[in-house]
Amino acid sequence: MLANLKKPSIWLPLLSLVIVFGGWEIVGRSINPLLFAPPSVVAAQFSELVTSGELAEAAQITMKALFLGYALAVLAGIPFGIVMGAWDRFGDILQPYLYAIFATPRVVVVPLIVVWFGIGFEARLFLVFFWSAIAISVNTAQGVRHARPDLVEVAHSFQASRLQMARHVLIPGAIPFVVAGLRIGAERAIVGVIIGEMFLQIVGLGGVIASGSSELLPAKMLCAVAVIAVMGTIIVTALDMLERRFQSWKGA
Amino acid sequence: MKKRTKSDIRRDQLIGLAVFLAAWEITAQIMGNKLVLPAISQIFAALWDLISSGELILALGESIWLLIVGLTISTIIGFILGALVARSRTAYWMLNPYFSALFATPTIALVPLVLVWFGFGFPGRVIVVVLAAVVPIMFSVASGLRDDPKDLVDVARSFGVKGELALLYRVRVRAALPVLLAGLRLAAGRAVVGMAVAETYLRLGGIGGLIKAYGSMFQTDYVFAAILPLSLLGITIVSIIGRIERKLHWT
Repeated sequence: MLANLKKPSIWLPLLSLVIVFGGWEIVGRSINPLLFAPPSVVAAQFSELVTSGELAEAAQITMKALFLGYALAVLAGIPFGIVMGAWDRFGDILQPYLYAIFATPRVVVVPLIVVWFGIGFEARLFLVFFWSAIAISVNTAQGVRHARPDLVEVAHSFQASRLQMARHVLIPGAIPFVVAGLRIGAERAIVGVIIGEMFLQIVGLGGVIASGSSELLPAKMLCAVAVIAVMGTIIVTALDMLERRFQSWKGA
Repeated sequence: MKKRTKSDIRRDQLIGLAVFLAAWEITAQIMGNKLVLPAISQIFAALWDLISSGELILALGESIWLLIVGLTISTIIGFILGALVARSRTAYWMLNPYFSALFATPTIALVPLVLVWFGFGFPGRVIVVVLAAVVPIMFSVASGLRDDPKDLVDVARSFGVKGELALLYRVRVRAALPVLLAGLRLAAGRAVVGMAVAETYLRLGGIGGLIKAYGSMFQTDYVFAAILPLSLLGITIVSIIGRIERKLHWT
């Protein structure tokens, strides 16, 4: 019976979709179609947003800040993580601050970002960049430090040179950690870009949500939420698959 | 290669902290711009002011209450759904897609919707916290209860424990406790973020509201002073759960 549990089924999700969306449609229509936005209203709103080009334009603005900020985070985070991992004293001293910043909800840092970077593109870029760079560098540092001792020993006994050691043991050993950092960093970056668009400059997909909120149009908000969720799922799933691909390199 | 001991690291970190605070203080004094970078001394003065006026205690109390209510509800809902999904294939395939989608959506994007649908009284804020925290609890309950502790169940049966519910409580839940706590730890971290988001979005109550209010008055020293206890709150909750987790690790 339990082996059965994981067996995929197409009918059950479809059935539940029909139940949930049907129920939502009926309840939403009977109470207040504008406020409770049944699926038909959301679909109509979606096609309107697509044909007017508003959604494409917003997605483009969001992507630009997201990809630029994330690319900068990767470029800065990996080298910084390598330095932190290789020079353990520096890493140990820095670690608590990075963890503290990472643990602080970003919405409360928004007032500080306004004071430091204003509310324009740079401020949004910083929200994307900084937290995802922390995730990437902390994980990279962990990877550099956790070279598998058994492999290091084997390499030593075969008198591997420093370069060979780095090429064949240290770098492959660090890659799974780096990839994990890339995934966590991407999750952070996606939330960061939305925070920036809702709290700093009302643009992009986050801006669509914010304007939908002030116009009291839940359908509009739901469209933007759906696009964000799909976009995020695609990015994170891709990195997740990459992470799994390298999982076996991690050793026991 | 010499291995660095724990006390070595602790000493380095203390020196690092001293250097960091001193550098901050000196930089801030030279810049003399309280708006951009308040000095450490000014931040602590602001913190003291917030504490002695009772503002901080009140806000923290409100936030912690929100967290407790939100996490309790998340745990109950997450537990029921997780148990369902773990024990029934039908429930798994009917419910899982929604929760995967909820997990992938940034909580912040849902806040305006909650605002429109539920208002921003206390119930609305609780719903935001629950939306943030319920999925990790549900996933961990599901994965904890799915691994069937077959030998334990057999032993319990032969000692006369009867019925699926009794087995669930007396064997399966206890066997799954470490996994459940890991989920709770993840959920607590997300709940703190949800709390901050809910409180900040409309500048309503709690520590998030406090930060937002001082932020819009451009009193950066007070903003720093209020962020500090919020970060500590999050770190403390997560590390307490982590500590219980390590103590309970029976496998």
